[in-house]
Amino acid sequence: MDPIIVTRELKKVYRMGRVQVPALRGVDCTVLESEFVAVVGPSGCGKSTLLHILGGLTGPTSGEVLVDGNDFSNMTDADRTRFRRHTIGFVFQRFNLLPTLTARNNIAIAQDIQGNGFNPHHFQKVVEMLGIQDKLEHRPNAMSGGEQQRVAIARAVICEPKILLADEPTGNLDTENSQAVLNMMRELNRTFGQTILMITHNPEAAAVADRIIHMRDGRVVSD
Amino acid sequence: MVNKLIISNVLHRPIRTALSALAVAIEVAMVMLFVGLANGMLHDSARRVEGIGADILVQPSGTSFLFAFSQAALPVKIGEKFKEIPHVLAVAPAVIFVNSVGGLDTIYGIDMASFDSVSGGFVYHHGHALENPYDVLVDDWYAKAKRVKLGQTIRLLDHEFRVSGIVEHGKGARLFISIGTAEDLLSVKDKASIFFVKCTDPGYTAEVSEAIHQMGPGYKITLVKELMSMMTSSNLPGLETITTVIIGIAVAIGFLVIFLAMYTTIIERTREIGILKSLGASKGYIIAVILREAGLLCAVGILAGYGIAAIARKIIVAKFPTLPIELTAQWAFYAALLALAGSLLGALYPAWRAAQLDPVDALAYE
Repeated sequence: MDPIIVTRELKKVYRMGRVQVPALRGVDCTVLESEFVAVVGPSGCGKSTLLHILGGLTGPTSGEVLVDGNDFSNMTDADRTRFRRHTIGFVFQRFNLLPTLTARNNIAIAQDIQGNGFNPHHFQKVVEMLGIQDKLEHRPNAMSGGEQQRVAIARAVICEPKILLADEPTGNLDTENSQAVLNMMRELNRTFGQTILMITHNPEAAAVADRIIHMRDGRVVSD
Repeated sequence: MVNKLIISNVLHRPIRTALSALAVAIEVAMVMLFVGLANGMLHDSARRVEGIGADILVQPSGTSFLFAFSQAALPVKIGEKFKEIPHVLAVAPAVIFVNSVGGLDTIYGIDMASFDSVSGGFVYHHGHALENPYDVLVDDWYAKAKRVKLGQTIRLLDHEFRVSGIVEHGKGARLFISIGTAEDLLSVKDKASIFFVKCTDPGYTAEVSEAIHQMGPGYKITLVKELMSMMTSSNLPGLETITTVIIGIAVAIGFLVIFLAMYTTIIERTREIGILKSLGASKGYIIAVILREAGLLCAVGILAGYGIAAIARKIIVAKFPTLPIELTAQWAFYAALLALAGSLLGALYPAWRAAQLDPVDALAYE
């Protein structure tokens, strides 16, 4: 398998007033295509910042980020947005569904933004795999946390992105729903061959992955 | 899909949506009613002058027809000279003034015989012609609006006048008194504000007009057939400015309300904007969502504005039958354009702000 994510000496410094806060202090890592990787580490170790940079939501301060052969450090915000639209799907701890839309429309809006039109066959396949057929007309406030997260996963994979970035996807779920979500992600990884990079605090969740990257103080300490 | 997002957002905050649309509706209704009232009064005035039956109006130079009451500077006796012009059938002098007691009413001081010869005479619903110095004729619309009955006295220029007749509307003013009485009360003895000149045939209008012009440069000559086209707000000093100011205020109301509504919307939906960005929505996509939402609010407001204008017109006309309000498709279109422009301008900055949001900050927004 070829590497799909490569970072070299990746640094990110946040400026808070006059104070500079280093979030990443030189991250080197490689993720192969179709790999399911968990990133674990204590709060504030830079996991989420790494995810945001790999997802093109923010740029690095220095270093190299190659995602599917594209160097993010040389791309504009608009280029990263375009790239993200077609290549990356996000799953968040807080689900981040649009509260005014039904589950169906929350999923469909990702396709609308991508601009490739609605694919009913793929939509049905994803919905069935995630077991949310009977929740499609419900709004987020009428669904449980587990159901919301499954809809969020469906939204993330509906456009068949090469990479799925998950930020603590089980952080707001009970054990049963956490296991269900992890199983689904594992299944998606196997069925669609999507590369998954998952951030988690939970060692049990991390154990589902093919590989675990440990971070501390803005650096990768073991891989 | 964007339409579903926009509609669901709009329905999610019904009170804000209703208030925003109402502000646009008031803007549209204000523009349509004010312009409709201004144009209605102008055209009604022109139609009533046309209804007199004269072909030419002669006034002192520098006088606007609508402000003919501002001076009575023409000697009545020159009417006799006008009569001597070939192809002149009849000439009627009039003193035009405004009575401000109980509302603004234009009153014609007329000589019954000459006015009848130009106009063909009044159609009397009740009563008879002016016989005594303090008799007054009122038209049927005035009588209805002011609930005036035959024989009743009404106060004009600090004097009591008796209603001697109620006549069909459409012959210049809504109230008519004797020209002699008007001259006395206004201290303009043997002077007239205007002469109504009727030709033996309308085809002689230009010839007669030229002959009057040759008699002296001090006359403002208006051909009645051109009067309607002259009755635009741009031909009346001040009215166009007032119209512009009213329209400006209306547009400003729409602009500010939409600005505020959309600004609070993007603050409230910061996280949702972050979600859209995480899905790969471009700045253009975000701007389009906000502008289209503003456009939807505006469209609802425009339709409501048409309804409000139509209802307000019915109420005003029922309460004040002498106030003509012309609601035209042209100004409905202009009002919609103004509302749309104001709304989109009002939404532009909030939309730009939304597009500039940092996705990481937006997703972390509580």
